[in-house]
Amino acid sequence: MIKIPTRVLLVDDEKDFVEMLSLRLQDAGEKVTPAYSGKECLDTLKQIPIDVVILDIKMPGMDGIETLREIKKRFPLVEVIMLTGHGSTETAVEGMKLGAFDYLMKPAEFDDLTAKLQAARKRKDEQEERIRKAEATLLVRKAGGIA
Amino acid sequence: MEPIRILLVDDEEDFRQTVAKRLAKRGMHVRQASNGENCLSMLEKEPVDIVVLDVKMPGMDGIEALRHIKERHPRTQVIMLTGHACAQDGVEGIKRGAFDYLSKPIELEHLLTKINQAYDKIIREEEKEREAAFRASMEQQMIATERLASLGTLAAGVAHEINNPLAIIKESAGWILSILHKDELKDMPRRSDLELGLSKIQKGVERIRRITLQLLESVKQTDSLVSEVNPEELARETVDLVCKDASAKDVRIMIDSRPDVKRIWTDPYKLRQVLINLLTNAVYAAGPGGTVAVMIRPTNEGALITVQDTGQGIPRENLARIFEPFFSTKPPGEGTGLGLFVTRGIIEKLGGAINVKSEFGKGSAFEIRLPLHPEMEDMPDASDNPGAWLVNVEG
Repeated sequence: MIKIPTRVLLVDDEKDFVEMLSLRLQDAGEKVTPAYSGKECLDTLKQIPIDVVILDIKMPGMDGIETLREIKKRFPLVEVIMLTGHGSTETAVEGMKLGAFDYLMKPAEFDDLTAKLQAARKRKDEQEERIRKAEATLLVRKAGGIA
Repeated sequence: MEPIRILLVDDEEDFRQTVAKRLAKRGMHVRQASNGENCLSMLEKEPVDIVVLDVKMPGMDGIEALRHIKERHPRTQVIMLTGHACAQDGVEGIKRGAFDYLSKPIELEHLLTKINQAYDKIIREEEKEREAAFRASMEQQMIATERLASLGTLAAGVAHEINNPLAIIKESAGWILSILHKDELKDMPRRSDLELGLSKIQKGVERIRRITLQLLESVKQTDSLVSEVNPEELARETVDLVCKDASAKDVRIMIDSRPDVKRIWTDPYKLRQVLINLLTNAVYAAGPGGTVAVMIRPTNEGALITVQDTGQGIPRENLARIFEPFFSTKPPGEGTGLGLFVTRGIIEKLGGAINVKSEFGKGSAFEIRLPLHPEMEDMPDASDNPGAWLVNVEG
């Protein structure tokens, strides 16, 4: 079976980190777009389709939580995995209450990251599938089918 | 109350005997000396509370004896007895540290009043000393606590900053390794050397990561989720978590509880973390063939959990230091020196106390005392120390 790449948007102000992790994820068959700030993340989301955003919580300017709120407001179907360099998981939990899929502690195990990435991608696919089905039902009704 | 101990010093035998008898009748413990030298040697042997000291004596006179008494027995109070119309001697005595003086002939009631006043003064001074000692030890504790708190805050800040570049190193090493594993590089010369180097980098990264995580843990500001906990159940759960590791190391873990162990209100997650720390240490200390015992007992205040091992024990010189951050006797890479530091921080936040008993060569026992309810008012004032030791309780 051919792996369908997950379209990942990797957001962190640490350029070296973004660069290395992008290379690894691409090597693992994902399609990665880098962004170095919350604003750049939102601009990118407007321009290209993305499945999962990997989002660092601590960034100068617009921080991860703020960015997350905007993502969920404007692109509710995009899944978000939070990255925290902090020992405290509070912010990560706050993020999950705001709709993030999951979080990872930095430095994270690559295997954990890819596992969570797949799970997030799966949730998004399933949600989109449900939406398609619902839309189909709607069309049938409108066309005067079974009520 | 203990009887007041008096030494009566006078060269006039009759006077001395009479006064001594009458003081003894009032429940005092009276001894006698006939001159200054005698007085001093008796004091050397057995201290008294109050010396009633005649000024005019052959040989060493009262003033001279007073000087020696004050020098060698600063806590002893002295009441001078002066001859009639010799008030000057009494004043001299007070200047040299006597409590007061009485002129002969004395009235017994008068002497009694003075003795009682002098005794009150002794008690007041003892209290003052105790208070000063208590305050000094409190201050020392505060300094130590504050030092650790600010050290912790600093360390956590550093840890946080280190995690970011550490993530870069980890990703880079991981990436290189994944490239080395590709088919196209299968026959690359000295591939195993590169892999060896990379594995060392990864091990080092893992070690740093453990340290930074524990540092962050040590000052972490988390809401305590307090709920009703059965200490025995929690202990059994925790033992289940570590028993695999223990049996791999050939260490037996036993649990000993009693039916009258009460449920306590505490944070089960944190308490489990503490028990895991202590059990892991105990398993390590016990070594192959050793035994670890977890004992749970009810106390008036709550519960007492003891984790005991049959290891080598902790040398006396290390006992005072084991709760300090970065103190470890494990070989480099095996211990971060933060486990017990974090453990104590948690227990204190939960309103409990931890202490250790150890006999060198026989093993150690860590005792955790936990209250029925965490006493929040006993927490250090959070406003003095923002963030560091704050506990918010919900639920």
